[in-house]
Amino acid sequence: MDRCSSLVLRTGALLCALTVPLLAACVQQAPPDLVQSVEDLDQQLAAARGAEFAPEDYRQFVQHWVAFKDRLRSDDDVIGWPWEDNPFETDLRALYEEGSRVLMVATDRQNTERQGAVSNVARLERRLRRFTSRVDRIGSRVALGEQRVETELLVKQARSFLEQGHFAHSVRVAQQADQHMASQAARLNSELSRYADKEQVARWRAMVRRTVDWSKRHQAAALVVVKAEQRLTLYKNGRAVLSYRPVRLGFNGVQEKRYEDDGATPEGDYRVVRKRDRGQTEFYRAFLLDYPNADDQRRFQSARKAGVIPAEARIGGNIEIHGEANRQLSETLGCVMLSNRQMDALFHEVKVGTPVTIVGAVDVDNQVAVVLAQLDQGNDDPDDDSADSQDAPAQPDETAVEQS
Amino acid sequence: MKQIMMLLLAPTLLLVVGCGKAPTDKLAETEKGVLDAKLAGASAYAAEDFAKLEGMLTNAQKEIDDQNAKFMLFRDYGKAEQLLASVRAETPKLIEETAKKKAEAKDVAFKAHDAAKEAVKRAQALVAKAPVGKDRAAVEAIKNDAKALTASLNDVQMAIDSEDYLTAQAKAKAVQDKSRALAAEVKGALAKVGGAKATPATTGTKNKK
Repeated sequence: MDRCSSLVLRTGALLCALTVPLLAACVQQAPPDLVQSVEDLDQQLAAARGAEFAPEDYRQFVQHWVAFKDRLRSDDDVIGWPWEDNPFETDLRALYEEGSRVLMVATDRQNTERQGAVSNVARLERRLRRFTSRVDRIGSRVALGEQRVETELLVKQARSFLEQGHFAHSVRVAQQADQHMASQAARLNSELSRYADKEQVARWRAMVRRTVDWSKRHQAAALVVVKAEQRLTLYKNGRAVLSYRPVRLGFNGVQEKRYEDDGATPEGDYRVVRKRDRGQTEFYRAFLLDYPNADDQRRFQSARKAGVIPAEARIGGNIEIHGEANRQLSETLGCVMLSNRQMDALFHEVKVGTPVTIVGAVDVDNQVAVVLAQLDQGNDDPDDDSADSQDAPAQPDETAVEQS
Repeated sequence: MKQIMMLLLAPTLLLVVGCGKAPTDKLAETEKGVLDAKLAGASAYAAEDFAKLEGMLTNAQKEIDDQNAKFMLFRDYGKAEQLLASVRAETPKLIEETAKKKAEAKDVAFKAHDAAKEAVKRAQALVAKAPVGKDRAAVEAIKNDAKALTASLNDVQMAIDSEDYLTAQAKAKAVQDKSRALAAEVKGALAKVGGAKATPATTGTKNKK
């Protein structure tokens, strides 16, 4: 009996000695290096703004990762045979693969959005430069009022958002800037549509022809100003003898003159009513015109009745062709301004009674019409080098035309 | 015998009923907390952390659904309650972090706004001295630009008032840049005419056009 009991006890002890270590080795744990790898991946996803660029995928990854961390925190041990897979390790590897895929997706989308925003802002800035240059070319900067600065501020904001990595904001603001420019183009087209109107241009051409014919019939001098070309031409006996370009118009020169101080240079058939020599004018030498004439008065009254001009506005007067101021300062609110040397050349040719015809354009492909068409089209093809060359300002032209 | 059976069954029944009750009140409270975090701006200012909080809530909801799918006697909502407790513990931290980031963004927007106001003020002071020279169009345009910049400062304030600090800061920076450019344009014009002051337009008919 003693021998038997002893044998049982020894066998039991041997079995315990073998079983306990075996059981201890089978408590499976999460490999700490894999846990750290997934933690690091989580940080990389946060840095890559995973929630912004891959929201659904990121949400799923986070859900699985959080659930796994909950399992780790709980007190349940997982027991398995040594030859069986560690479920923690399996799940961690799956999580790592999932996280890596989400990181790749988020990074790719971020790069794509960045590239899109970069090219969009570059296009927008190029468009603004061309737009500004074209508007300046037809002297319409003032006509657009505060809208110009609003557009410029939007373009700057688009650039600022891009530089801060807020690509969606950049694209949204860029769209607003595009709409602003389109709206300004539409406004200018509406206000200056006369320059692209064939019938209107034909009427202006007819006015110039009548003045040139008068000059020929009366063997006398006549002046013609074409606003779109910023050109003044002296005709003698029906022939062009002097031509100056560019001459300065009012600060809203190409616009239709409506009232005093609007900065527009009037259009119509006028005559010189007075010559002012040196010392008689602050603008060196000047030819005073008979603006407003009967047509101007009629147009002004119609506009006032229609309510398109302010009720307190006056028609104004004192429109001249003059030189530069004697003082440092001078004002141009609608006059035609030449250099003093040019005024010297004209002064003795022009007399009281000399006709002065001021028209918008004599050619349907005039600069204003061309610019309006360009503004309307947007014309922001990055490969279109011709667009930039078209924006180059015209060279000054002082032509003494020889008489045959 | 019957009494013995009742005495044995009663605790068991109580246990089953206690463990089998879904924590609907705690779930509602937790969901409200997460919504509060979203309304506080967590999804914008701490997007990744907010996604984690939502992930934790989704897991808790899933655990509740899993338990609901089981036979009543086998339901155990202990883990679900633990998960909900974790979400409720994290929510105030996230709201605090969001408030901190929002305050930082607000501070940046305010500073940018102040800098923009100063820049506009300097530009306006120079515009008042802008010479009325040959380039009358430039002077009129400069005046328009100054007016537009002043109006844009109001837009910055509106963005700050609506807590859109990102837009406020970007707009303020743009206003500041443009104001500096405007000031440089006026200084250039002043340098050309030797700093002469603008002559106000005369009231007589001689100079009216």
